[in-house]
Amino acid sequence: MTATAERAPAPPRASPLGWIKERLFRNVWSGFVSVVLIAVVAYMGYRAFAFVFINGQWDAISRNLANFMIGRFPRDQIWRLVAQILLLGLGLGVGAGTASGTARDKAEESGLTYEPPTLLGTLRRFWSLIAFVVVILFMAGTRGPWLVAGGAVVLGYIGWQSWRLPRTVRLLSWLVTGLLLLAAFQVVSGTDGLAWVPVALVVAMAAWLVVPVDRLDSPWRQLAGLGAAAAGVAIVYLIYQEIAAPGVGWDQWSGMNLTLWWSAIVITLAFPAGLLLGLARRSSLPALRYLATTYIELIRGVPLITLLFMGEFILGFMLPAGTSLSSISRSIAAGTLFTAAYVAEIIRGGLQSLPLGQTEAGQALGMGTPVILRKIVLPQALRAVIPAMVGQFISLFKDSSLLFIIGVTDFLRVRAIVHAQPDFRVVAHAETLVFVAIGFWAIAYAMSRESQRLERKLGVGVR
Amino acid sequence: MLRGVGQVVALAAGAAVVWWLLSNLITNLNRSGIPTDFGFLTRPTQFTIAYAPAFEARSPVWQMVLVGIKNTLLAGFVGILLASVLGLVVGIARLSENWLASRLATVFVEFFRNIPPLVVIIFFGAAVFTFGPLPVLSEAIEISVPGSSDTLLLLSNDRWGIPGFVSRGDVPAYLGVLVVGLAVAALLWIWRTRVNLSIGEPHHRVLWSLAALLAFAVLGYVVLGGPFGIEWPSLSENRRVIASGFAMNWGFLALTGALALYTASHIAEIVRGSIQAVPKGQTEASSALALNGFQRYRFVVLPQAMRIAVPPMINQFLNLIKNTSLGVAVAYAELATLTRISIGNGRPAVQSIVVMMVVYLAFSLTISVILNVVNRRLQLVTR
Repeated sequence: MTATAERAPAPPRASPLGWIKERLFRNVWSGFVSVVLIAVVAYMGYRAFAFVFINGQWDAISRNLANFMIGRFPRDQIWRLVAQILLLGLGLGVGAGTASGTARDKAEESGLTYEPPTLLGTLRRFWSLIAFVVVILFMAGTRGPWLVAGGAVVLGYIGWQSWRLPRTVRLLSWLVTGLLLLAAFQVVSGTDGLAWVPVALVVAMAAWLVVPVDRLDSPWRQLAGLGAAAAGVAIVYLIYQEIAAPGVGWDQWSGMNLTLWWSAIVITLAFPAGLLLGLARRSSLPALRYLATTYIELIRGVPLITLLFMGEFILGFMLPAGTSLSSISRSIAAGTLFTAAYVAEIIRGGLQSLPLGQTEAGQALGMGTPVILRKIVLPQALRAVIPAMVGQFISLFKDSSLLFIIGVTDFLRVRAIVHAQPDFRVVAHAETLVFVAIGFWAIAYAMSRESQRLERKLGVGVR
Repeated sequence: MLRGVGQVVALAAGAAVVWWLLSNLITNLNRSGIPTDFGFLTRPTQFTIAYAPAFEARSPVWQMVLVGIKNTLLAGFVGILLASVLGLVVGIARLSENWLASRLATVFVEFFRNIPPLVVIIFFGAAVFTFGPLPVLSEAIEISVPGSSDTLLLLSNDRWGIPGFVSRGDVPAYLGVLVVGLAVAALLWIWRTRVNLSIGEPHHRVLWSLAALLAFAVLGYVVLGGPFGIEWPSLSENRRVIASGFAMNWGFLALTGALALYTASHIAEIVRGSIQAVPKGQTEASSALALNGFQRYRFVVLPQAMRIAVPPMINQFLNLIKNTSLGVAVAYAELATLTRISIGNGRPAVQSIVVMMVVYLAFSLTISVILNVVNRRLQLVTR
């Protein structure tokens, strides 16, 4: 577009009456529809108002808020959850700050000025989530939850300031984000047993990426990277020997806490598996391709519930005699097997969206397949699939309600605890269900808006 | 060379994992004395199914599977029908110039798209039926046909009755008449198309074919002396069962209602997206050719929107069929519910789940074959 292009003059602003005439009563048919819809809205609004403010028995929820949020979690260990929420606030803040920082780097590269997100913009982006949390805080009626939520927000804001850091530490702040999120997980689940493994993985990956190897020759380059990674693993292992302490395993988590963590754990496990499957499906080796295709199509052909039943009734028999897994662990296994197939299809879509010229250019530069994959194909393909991955996460989050069916006390099944109480045996079923529905909705809606925003921002699907 | 080795290693690793799991499975099952064959399919189920009086405790397990498949398909079919109609209406309403209509449609879509369907199913099951405001069957609400004493709807917290068809004569003969009518309509269609192509006379083939079909339907009905009629729903003498009309149980209503709402919200987005995806120049060009609003939609916009909309729609239909397995939560006797009950009654779990998975896979394969055929038909023919 040339600089001389002028904006069209804004259309004259219609008067309220003119607006009503134009948008509601344009012709007979439109007017008829409007009248009917106004009647419907008025009636439903009246019923909803009466339900919310007059005849709804909301004490079924306000008296059971702790049950809805954490279910059967041991009450003497609540300090762990407080620490978890604070760490999550900080970790997500640093993550958002790093993402903003990356956006700033990009903007500066192309000579644009970067505008950090405003408070109002953030409120608008996550309004459903914020409204849900505020309603819960008001229903709780005590000071504790307010303090925890406020603390998490303050820590998140402090973490977000990391966008001001210079771009050389971006990689490091992604590492910090990962470690903070893992710390939030382990402050509840404990630091004993194999807890060091995920942390060691994150540290090793970071060490491998950070070590300045570009000036070394090829074999030394690999060696230096591997050495740094191994050193990172060793240090993490030694630290964890010192701080090993048992926590509350996920077998005892429940309520909204379980629903959120279940989805997060499953998507975290399913992502690498799906990445490998997706690459295998696009591989030039027929054996790999057929194996991956068969797996993906088989899993996508059956509903999640059949896999959950498999986890419930069969998985125990498939492991050596004597091993026993809790039903939450089995459901995580089933969910991962299921989600990996869908992630693989998303990854495949991302790989297919890359023009063949990208790979060919790499080959022309004498790169080997692994280097092409790591340096050229994956960075672009993964960027293109971010919105679709968020979409998959939303659908997984909604699917987590199926835990209800295999008897796990998730956010939906907490209702069983509530309606076992003598006061609420046959009443307030609509109230608890509306609350559960709004809870799921608030989170899924915020994420779906975010995925649409990412789609616009990344320009996916736009030439 | 390296490629060959890589493949062999991958295959061997895959085979090793599968073999390890299966050998564990067989060893553990043998140790526990659980059978590993499919002989249980011909043995009695030893339980009865609610709302399926023809099924007895001594009916074999394979008949239970058939009942499950029938109920899965019934819920799937009715759900697809409702979801398509609702989704179409909402999707078009989102594009409406009427502010209220488009706003309400948006609220509907954003609401139901972001709630797990299971929550909606249980809402209907618990808050509308089991603990809801509806009366028990013996005191069912009877809504009568305006200006007549016949009952149109029977509403209770257990079963709903709606009008059904009842055979009063030779129904097969009537169906034969309809088939002949269809054939005649098809011939008329071909003839009118030929006339149009050869001498350019307007073909009006839709009118001709519909008229022929309608004529056969009406004449056949009169000549055969009314082979079927409408039967209004009514309660039995003791008011404990629905004696006439078409009865639906609460599990079916909760499941299909919720899935229809959930899938409709997705279909509405597909409808809106595919209509918006047709370039604006197409509409403008057809206006320039003096086509009116209906012609613009019928001949220019819809054929192009269809090409975009149909594949994801079929995917949604498949999702709906897979989602009928959520009927477990409201004890609707579809395949997953019955499989679970039968495992709970001591049938071998592995084989039962294999049977269930094979049936769902068969549904999925059938639909993806349909999808491929449709895709090929719809594909843009280019040079």
